[in-house]
Amino acid sequence: MFLHYIDLGWRSLRRTPTVSFLMVLAIALGIGITMTSLSVYHMMSMDPIEQKSDRLFHPQLQTMDDGNDTWSEDNLPFQLTYQDAQHLAQAPVGRYKAAMLRTGFTLHMENSDVRPFIQNARATHADFFNLFDLPFIYGSAWTQEQADDASPVVVISEALNDKLFGGRNSVGEQFFLDDTAFRVVGVVAPFTTHMKFYDVNNGAFRDHENLYIPFSLIAVMDIDTWGNSNGWKFENIRSMKDKRQSEIFWLQFWVQLDDDAAVKQYGEYLMGYMAEQQKSGRFNRENLQFGLRNVNDWLDYRNVVSEDNEVLVALSFMFLAVCLANILGLLLAKFMRRAPEVGVRRALGASKRQVFLQHIVEVSMLGLIGGLLGIALAQLGLWGVRLTQEYYSPLATMDMTMLLSAPVIAIAACVIAGMYPAWLVCRTTPATYLKTQ
Amino acid sequence: MLTMKNVSKVYQTEMVQTHALRDFDLEVKEGEFIAVTGPSGSGKTTFLNIAGMLEPFSSGQYMLDDVNVGALSDNQRADLRNQKIGFIFQGFNLIPDLNLYENVEVPLRYRGIKAAERKKRIEACLEQVGLASRAKHLPQQLSGGQQQRVAIARALAGEPRFLLADEPTGNLDSLMARQVMELLEQINRDGATIVMVTHDPELARRAPRNIQIVDGQVADLTLYQGVARQTDRAVVGG
Repeated sequence: MFLHYIDLGWRSLRRTPTVSFLMVLAIALGIGITMTSLSVYHMMSMDPIEQKSDRLFHPQLQTMDDGNDTWSEDNLPFQLTYQDAQHLAQAPVGRYKAAMLRTGFTLHMENSDVRPFIQNARATHADFFNLFDLPFIYGSAWTQEQADDASPVVVISEALNDKLFGGRNSVGEQFFLDDTAFRVVGVVAPFTTHMKFYDVNNGAFRDHENLYIPFSLIAVMDIDTWGNSNGWKFENIRSMKDKRQSEIFWLQFWVQLDDDAAVKQYGEYLMGYMAEQQKSGRFNRENLQFGLRNVNDWLDYRNVVSEDNEVLVALSFMFLAVCLANILGLLLAKFMRRAPEVGVRRALGASKRQVFLQHIVEVSMLGLIGGLLGIALAQLGLWGVRLTQEYYSPLATMDMTMLLSAPVIAIAACVIAGMYPAWLVCRTTPATYLKTQ
Repeated sequence: MLTMKNVSKVYQTEMVQTHALRDFDLEVKEGEFIAVTGPSGSGKTTFLNIAGMLEPFSSGQYMLDDVNVGALSDNQRADLRNQKIGFIFQGFNLIPDLNLYENVEVPLRYRGIKAAERKKRIEACLEQVGLASRAKHLPQQLSGGQQQRVAIARALAGEPRFLLADEPTGNLDSLMARQVMELLEQINRDGATIVMVTHDPELARRAPRNIQIVDGQVADLTLYQGVARQTDRAVVGG
């Protein structure tokens, strides 16, 4: 019977091509706009590291003396000082841990095949790759010994390896970062997420870095951040050494804590650490305070998906609702015009349920066609976003979830819009129309 | 087969109550061919709609094959209608998008009959009404008489025991009306019970039993039956 309903639905759509076209256009426009904003929102709000987002934590330390404020909602600084990051990296707790900052260099090669260019880099600990499940294509991370010696070694991204070395195994190759020769020790696979969740300070959707160098080089090479630095008191900073010893917040830190016990233990460690630091004159405050948020809590806390995006999605759904209201009106007119035929069908033995289903199948077909056309319109919309909003470029795409959702949303929306007209027509008293046909 | 006792039908609006049927009593026996006549607005069509379970009645009792129709749900009435009743309408009521084959198929689909069996029945019914060669035609490609024959084929396809015809020849010229009437008579001889509403006295006279509805009730036909005995003909109202 279902196939028969599809056949009837198809005939009905063909019988009134203009009305059918208007309805398909309305649903396609609604779906197109909704899916455009929803796709961007979906890409923004998806869990960037699903397999372990609940086990990766970003600690925060309240280093400010009593009476000082910062702009976070809980008055905790977003980033860490260098000295705190250094200490936490050496803590005996936490499975993997890495302090990090964003920096950059002019990259040039010994040969003239590749013109020098500016390249973002991340100075971090070797655990970075374990923390974020980045597999190595060639080589490996630097060793502890290399880190301790502050050796000029580098892990590069697959994209950079393709650019510099044509994708071959470049382990052992050299290039210059500013004036220092660095040796490649590993080539790492790209992140599977567009979100730079581990450092959202300068936009959570900027490109990931292509160079990773040992954290110990920050001190040796006097590396400064290419990200944000925030202070809360006057400090006379005359050199990078001064900055490293200051109370300026300029580093990110992530630690992997595998269970609740580890989280608790880490919290205790942080409290102990702050109490210890108080003895040396830091943390001049009555109540010691720390923050420890997992990836998704951290992204919420940092408002990575701003309210603007949510408002945009809500508005696009309202537009879809307006489209549906129009469809509802057209369906009402169309179905009620067909009431005499429904009267005949009812007289010939169709139950109300069968009549209702017949019409719901028809509106579902409308939804399906409109949904498919809506996907095409959404692709057009996303192309427009990519063209005009560079920052959102990596996000302006429809993944498989969104591709499959579009027709489902369209069908569901049409079924909702079609329920009332279908219910109305199935309630037709057959006798009313049999005489008047 | 059909028994109505004290059946009433009241159409209620905010201002007016209209009694379409009042204390309507009728018994129809298996195999009868009854012509129902009466003036316009007398309740003939209301009676037919209630008999066909196309609309509910306000009070009274209606038994169809010992089933108390008043106690059935809407879906049960739809099933019973589909199983036992065939309809022939004055306006044919063919579905314009469906060809003849598909039109005849409609009640069979709702009954859940398998495709092979449907095909057999449809071809037989179209053959019976002389339109087998036009199975793929759309209704609008046929004359009025041919369309009514398709409607009859559709009514017959479900092999109903009870055929309700509402002025089946009302939209036809006299030649076609005669052909349709002959077809109905043949169907009746084959065993179906037929109740036919008509305005046409000539058609009514051809039915073995006549009833007249006046003001929503079966009129007392004693007088008319007396005359009929004298003239050996049934007398019917216009």
